[in-house]
Amino acid sequence: MTRKDNNHKSAPILVQCAIFAGILWVASILSALCPPSFVVPTPVIGLVLLYLLLTLGVVKLEWVENLGMFLISLIGFLFVPSGIQIANDLGILQREGLQILLVILVATVALLVVTAYVTRLVIAIHKRIMGGQQHDSIN
Amino acid sequence: MTALTNNLALPFTGIFISLLVFLVGQWLFKKSNGFFLFQPLFFGMVAGIIILILWGKVQGTSTAYVYRHFYKPGGDIIFWFLNPATIAFAIPLFKRNDVLKKYWLDILISLVLSSVLCLFIILGASKLVGLSHSSAAAMLPQAATTAIAMPVAEAIGGNSAVTAIACIVKAVIIYALADVFIKAFRLQHSQIGLGLGLGTGGTIGSAKALQFGVLEGAMASVCVVISGIVIDLVVIPFARLFM
Repeated sequence: MTRKDNNHKSAPILVQCAIFAGILWVASILSALCPPSFVVPTPVIGLVLLYLLLTLGVVKLEWVENLGMFLISLIGFLFVPSGIQIANDLGILQREGLQILLVILVATVALLVVTAYVTRLVIAIHKRIMGGQQHDSIN
Repeated sequence: MTALTNNLALPFTGIFISLLVFLVGQWLFKKSNGFFLFQPLFFGMVAGIIILILWGKVQGTSTAYVYRHFYKPGGDIIFWFLNPATIAFAIPLFKRNDVLKKYWLDILISLVLSSVLCLFIILGASKLVGLSHSSAAAMLPQAATTAIAMPVAEAIGGNSAVTAIACIVKAVIIYALADVFIKAFRLQHSQIGLGLGLGTGGTIGSAKALQFGVLEGAMASVCVVISGIVIDLVVIPFARLFM
């Protein structure tokens, strides 16, 4: 849209839309091919596809960057309907809202703390196996 | 009257309500210097639900009816854009390929191990407080970003609306209490560990991680993406084995 900006090579916005749409289309087909016992949602496949296309250099950053960063900047707003969705069944919050809140609290702390500690451990072990010859800035 | 009701059932209603509550949330958040309950997404969710409840009261129908007939058509359109927005996270991931190339093995092993450990903790906690099966299943994929967590929850028989709430409330808690947890558990000693840990709090956790440093921020945004994929691959077999 803003062609005079410093990212002079960025693709027209419709081209960027088309790339996103094409990836989503292929991803939805691949997702449908996954067996029902092993669900891989369309966005997961699309995410991996776009990452691979970028890393392999098939898709240039300038072809997707404007639209992609714009969408990411909207992400908080895009989650609003998923939160309001519970209005379809408020009974569940009356029945077990407090328990749900408790589990979320436990999960939040567990995810933060366990992930941090496990990572520290894994890196320490990895460093020992490598004999400390690389991975300089790890503490 | 029916013409009015029919028109209110068009997507404009849901889109307008969503924008309104989110923008009011943004305004309040700024005015209150970042009071944690005024996080735009959380405030928008609560305010939106209250609007639907009041609407139902005025019209004499249930909240669920108002949601399905007047909010959902517009809400679904906004919700759809989570598909391209989630894919877009490949872009910041690609930009951090330097960090990823250096640490990919550590990141992957750490996230798989900690995901499995956390799933046991979450399932244990759910059993302990006596959650129903559909709510317990909804709790499991909450480490993933919402657009990934919701379909995964449905695949294992969970209520995806509850999963969405979990993702939102988790971000509220991280935003409000991250500093307390980091101090209490001495997490600041490992930059990569702290970054990945905060990344489980989604985009809000990533913003927090950036306050600690560039490496932490990069790790958190990498974690948001990778843990989404890891959760998808780990939760479904886990649920089949242990639920």
